[in-house]
Amino acid sequence: MKYAYYPGCAIHSSSKEYGDSCEAISRVLQIELDEIPEWNCCGAIDAIYSYKPLYSVAIAARNLALAEQMEEDIVTLCSACFYTLSRTNKLLQEDSDIKRKVDEALGSAGLQYNGGVKVRHFLEVLLSDLGLEKIKEKAKVPLTTLNVASYYGCFLVRPPELANFDDPEHPTSLDELVEALGGSQVSYYGKIRCCGASLGVTDEKIMLKLTKEILVNAKDAGANCMITACPLCHFNLDAKQRDVEKRFDIEINLPILHFTQMMGIAFGVNTGELGLDRNCVSPKNILAQYAEKVIQ
Amino acid sequence: MRLVASLTSESTRQDFVKEVAKMQGGKNILDCIQCGVCSGSCPTRFAMDYSPMHIIRMIHMGMKEKVLSSSTIWVCSTCYTCATRCPRAIDITTLMMSLRNQAMEKGYVSESKIKPKFYRSFFDIVNKYGRLHEPELLTRIIEKTNIKELLHVASLGWRLMKKRRLQLRAPKITTSADLHNILEKIEADKS
Repeated sequence: MKYAYYPGCAIHSSSKEYGDSCEAISRVLQIELDEIPEWNCCGAIDAIYSYKPLYSVAIAARNLALAEQMEEDIVTLCSACFYTLSRTNKLLQEDSDIKRKVDEALGSAGLQYNGGVKVRHFLEVLLSDLGLEKIKEKAKVPLTTLNVASYYGCFLVRPPELANFDDPEHPTSLDELVEALGGSQVSYYGKIRCCGASLGVTDEKIMLKLTKEILVNAKDAGANCMITACPLCHFNLDAKQRDVEKRFDIEINLPILHFTQMMGIAFGVNTGELGLDRNCVSPKNILAQYAEKVIQ
Repeated sequence: MRLVASLTSESTRQDFVKEVAKMQGGKNILDCIQCGVCSGSCPTRFAMDYSPMHIIRMIHMGMKEKVLSSSTIWVCSTCYTCATRCPRAIDITTLMMSLRNQAMEKGYVSESKIKPKFYRSFFDIVNKYGRLHEPELLTRIIEKTNIKELLHVASLGWRLMKKRRLQLRAPKITTSADLHNILEKIEADKS
């Protein structure tokens, strides 16, 4: 299985451990990830779209064109990139005026895009192309002590015209993965509520409130960790957890793992390859028994 | 809300409705039945001056100025819960993005406000390197005279630095000239 890998900006910077753990489990599962050479920013949901809609479509289309040359589906780890690239794909299919303008623009860089690329989230690829049974076969270490709150967030499951591999209101894919790896899924309110996304940069008070509700609900429901499938959600829930605690004067201390890190632990991958030492809320206590050398 | 006092003439009203209907996300705007599912589902409603349902009604009534000056369009976190649940298939979330764009283009919001600054800086950085350089985005939009905010951002930076999650060097792609050509062509095509 071979895919055109689109890491996205966050995975090359603040969420490097998400990319590293993805690569580590891909080696175990014999999934080949060909990084798209010279990929550029997808446009980041509304960031470039609200500034200049056509700029956003055009720069995302460049990535689609580059992937088309590789004759492979695009796979990304980032829900925001997944949404932005899929939206662009759909716009180019449905709006002939935009398509014409973008074609001309791509042409000026010697590129063309014929609509032949599918944009997929890495989680969906694992579940559809490989399946839970195959994943189970590779799991050597049952995660019996983990009570996992799966956090789906927004773009992994919405809007359903673009993200249609799980139920937009009651998604279960991550929970099924947890159970397949021997962990227990935790039911809590908030698994599809927004974490605040980029409001964390522009209007932090709002983001801290949204993130707090998700974290507190998960913790109250008995979770001892949470998994995410998006570097931005992870950033708000993990890197900003201390800001949430400070603002609301509460203690949360809930380790947030990228779902790929959790899979890596179950596969018995060397923890050094999973970048667990980069998680801001240390998962040391909950993972100590699964790996001898878990993080400082 | 004093909606009645702000009623506009029939032609102005229709002009704005038509304008919105042409925007991305505005297609089914007249199908709204004011059921309020969007507002009830919205995670950031508490921080908005008008709820998403009100914004749509205000569009129907031609209240362009109030819509494009509202806090609602900036507080929307783009989570797509409203659009997913709307029984009339109105793509409210995409419409909010289009309204933000219009508010900036038509000067309804000062360029020095944080969101317009965020969007502009984000684009400038991507245009320069081809990819986002996170620390540069933060240092560009931060209010440099606000000591409390500076310290707050510095503490986040330090936290990330300790975890080796702060990428100090900019991530330049070697073919950024291609990207510039693409954007120049798009810009030229508009006029």
